[in-house]
Amino acid sequence: MIRDIALHEARRLRAGMMFWVLLAFGQLIVAWLGFAQLEAFAAIAPELKASGSLLGITDLVIMPTFNTLILVLLMGAPLLSMGSIAGEMHSGRISLWLSSPVSGSQIVLGKILGLWLASLPLIISATLTLAAFGLGIEIDWPRFALATVCLLLFSLWLGSVTLFVSGLFDHPAAALAASYGILLFLWLLDSLSGADAPWYWLALLPHIKPWLQGLLRSQDIVFFVATGAAAALLGVYSIARRRGEV
Amino acid sequence: MKPVLLARQISYGNANRPRLSNFDLKLEPGDRLGLLGINGAGKSTLMQLLAGILVPSRGEVEILGQRLDQAGATLRRHIGFLPQRLPVYPELTVAENLSWAGRLRGLTGKPLTEAIDTILAQVQLSEFSRRLAGRLSAGMAQRLGLAQAMLHQPDILILDEPTAGLDPLQTEQIRALLEQLAADTSMVLATHLLDDVQRLCNRVILLDAGCKKAEHEVTADTDLLMHFRQQTQHESAGAIS
Repeated sequence: MIRDIALHEARRLRAGMMFWVLLAFGQLIVAWLGFAQLEAFAAIAPELKASGSLLGITDLVIMPTFNTLILVLLMGAPLLSMGSIAGEMHSGRISLWLSSPVSGSQIVLGKILGLWLASLPLIISATLTLAAFGLGIEIDWPRFALATVCLLLFSLWLGSVTLFVSGLFDHPAAALAASYGILLFLWLLDSLSGADAPWYWLALLPHIKPWLQGLLRSQDIVFFVATGAAAALLGVYSIARRRGEV
Repeated sequence: MKPVLLARQISYGNANRPRLSNFDLKLEPGDRLGLLGINGAGKSTLMQLLAGILVPSRGEVEILGQRLDQAGATLRRHIGFLPQRLPVYPELTVAENLSWAGRLRGLTGKPLTEAIDTILAQVQLSEFSRRLAGRLSAGMAQRLGLAQAMLHQPDILILDEPTAGLDPLQTEQIRALLEQLAADTSMVLATHLLDDVQRLCNRVILLDAGCKKAEHEVTADTDLLMHFRQQTQHESAGAIS
């Protein structure tokens, strides 16, 4: 049933305008920035070679573009997920879900996977665009692969967090505003506090930057898995609360 | 014979302002029960409690002898629910909406395809199966909602104001469909319209302020308007005194 719910969620999103606008906008931004950075890299490449610098296209073009893709996903995920539960509440369709023989955990897990499936076309198309640079220039492929895998994990995490927020509201616009508020807060948290602050562990950037530098740290994986799972559990709880079970 | 649906002393809402209080209901196989009441009487809350969407704060609901809150989600497979606001995706086609409603109720593969074809023919939407649900007229959309609720051939049909907002012709179509399709199904029907109850039900409960006020058999000779007037006058007198 989780698979069916995931496929339905992805199908529902694909049938709407927002999915295609985000895909086109995201691809445009990634391609434009990628090629602009490639042009700038081509201009300074002789100087880098002459100075013996170790910086290559992976550092100066690929990873900054991956960073942009992360921002695009961060801005796009709330737009996709705002309708997932809040939209079902607002339209009255939640009664179809809650009167069916499916549990809250199946609904939440299915919808998270559906949101992830809906974000895949953008991730795949942007990754292929960047991988195409490898046809002409040497890319650090293991680092590229690590960044791609981490991006997939990040997008799953985004689905989980924004779905939980969607479950808190009865109107998609409220879910959208709250999702942006929470994600922006987590994005800026490291610059708002010092590294020794207890809540620094929740800041997003210190967990994302290492991937882009080619570092796979267990603490970053634990952060995304733990906070993503907590958001999913809270999502299940919010559905149980709507039913009056808790 | 075991009742298909049994509600024992169910209540919902907080103690100071309950939306439903100590409500009892028993539905035998083939029973067609009407629920009449003014806006805010608690009809929709009761419907949601019977459909398993809400869990009662007190009391219990049993479906085919099993407690709804204890037997798990699978028991809801025996229920077909048509809420007041149609649960359709306007961006999906009629067939896609039905396919999804069927999958949610555990139908897959050939049985699902056959069930969709059959119900589309029964609600006369076969030629509109590829039309987006958002482009259907109100009457057609209501027929789609009814098809969603009946696709999996439930034992109990719970209908919350199925004729609300429809013109007389569309209302007549829905009543005729319900007479034809739900002839052997136990049914609970919440409505404002006395004609719905007179035509479709064999029993009626009058509901007010979340409480059961009266219960009557419905026959061709039953004067529902008189019962309803008596009840509302009784309530008004009580409120004035």
